[in-house]
Amino acid sequence: MKKLATTLCAFAALGLSAPVLAHGSTKPQHGGVVQMNGETLFELVAQPGGVSLYMIDEDEPVNAAGMTAKLSVSTGGKRADVAMTPMKGNQFFAKGLKLPKGANVGVQVTSKASGARYGATFAIK
Amino acid sequence: MNSRFRSPRISLPRAVALAGAMAVSLTAVTAEAHGIWFAQRAKQLALIYGVGADDLDMVKRLPMVEKIEAYDADYQPIKAAARVAGAIVVIDSDAQPTVVAAVMPYGIWSRAGTDEWERKTLQEMPNATASTRNTKYAVSIVGPLSKPLAPLPGQVVQIIPAGPIPTMLGAALKYVVLYNGKPVAGAKVINDMVNDPDARPEVTGADGTVTLPVRNQGLNVIRAEYIGPTDQPKLYSQVEHTATLAFTLAHAPE
Repeated sequence: MKKLATTLCAFAALGLSAPVLAHGSTKPQHGGVVQMNGETLFELVAQPGGVSLYMIDEDEPVNAAGMTAKLSVSTGGKRADVAMTPMKGNQFFAKGLKLPKGANVGVQVTSKASGARYGATFAIK
Repeated sequence: MNSRFRSPRISLPRAVALAGAMAVSLTAVTAEAHGIWFAQRAKQLALIYGVGADDLDMVKRLPMVEKIEAYDADYQPIKAAARVAGAIVVIDSDAQPTVVAAVMPYGIWSRAGTDEWERKTLQEMPNATASTRNTKYAVSIVGPLSKPLAPLPGQVVQIIPAGPIPTMLGAALKYVVLYNGKPVAGAKVINDMVNDPDARPEVTGADGTVTLPVRNQGLNVIRAEYIGPTDQPKLYSQVEHTATLAFTLAHAPE
């Protein structure tokens, strides 16, 4: 498999530091890049056929079927919101989506049970 | 004392002295220390009303909130709304925001001498010695900024970081306080309205700036108070703006 077409970088050097380091593992497990929000790990993986998101809560994979997920890709002052499809385990997938260089990518998940919304922001370099 | 307006910022002797002075004319006073700010609650973004450790009842005050706004990293608006979640108010946005903002008008309040503040206009309290219309503003930097924070619609008074936000506490950060989008002198700024609400305020100079050390390796809530002129002199003698800027610094790995 080709290496990641896009390198995703966290935003830490660009002003404000997002909530980056907290509870549980912070290492990517699927070759992507990671952002933490408190105890929740978001891993974004750019692949030839689309973009995957993996979610881990305090070292426990989050059941994707219990959540909805959305990517918001902002480039040049325009934003495209893309709903992701829940897959097996803790994976969400956006088929055919590409992440252009320079884009800001907001990840937002919503709990189907509680309605709680939270997420993280990635920068694409 | 009215529970919705319980923190006059002036001491009793000062109030007595002011009352005497105001027998001739109404004097500008900063009367209300409470504000609104955003903070994380159970992973979600919540809107808080209070001061210091007083995290007060935002749910009952929610009808007073006039505006909830969210913006992405390019400051394009994201649809957002407040939602009651048990005892707190959380913000639901349609996408992951970089910045959120709120405006909460807090009514017209008047008092005579050292009496309690009452939700009355000057017309309703002709013997008032102080009368103010209050509005609370809140801006929170939720995600990393890719460009400097912009003046936001509806934020009549707004605190803007004049440079990159440091990653470690203790580092100096300059803030600009805007009034109607322009730097304003005379705004009173404190560095942490949650953990040090009674701090002696720094006052913005002619360029509208103050420089303060970032106080917390966690949530920082900066507060600015500015007394502006009345636009309804028959109803109140001043407009009191209380604005907050919230941001967080990441803590060390565990």
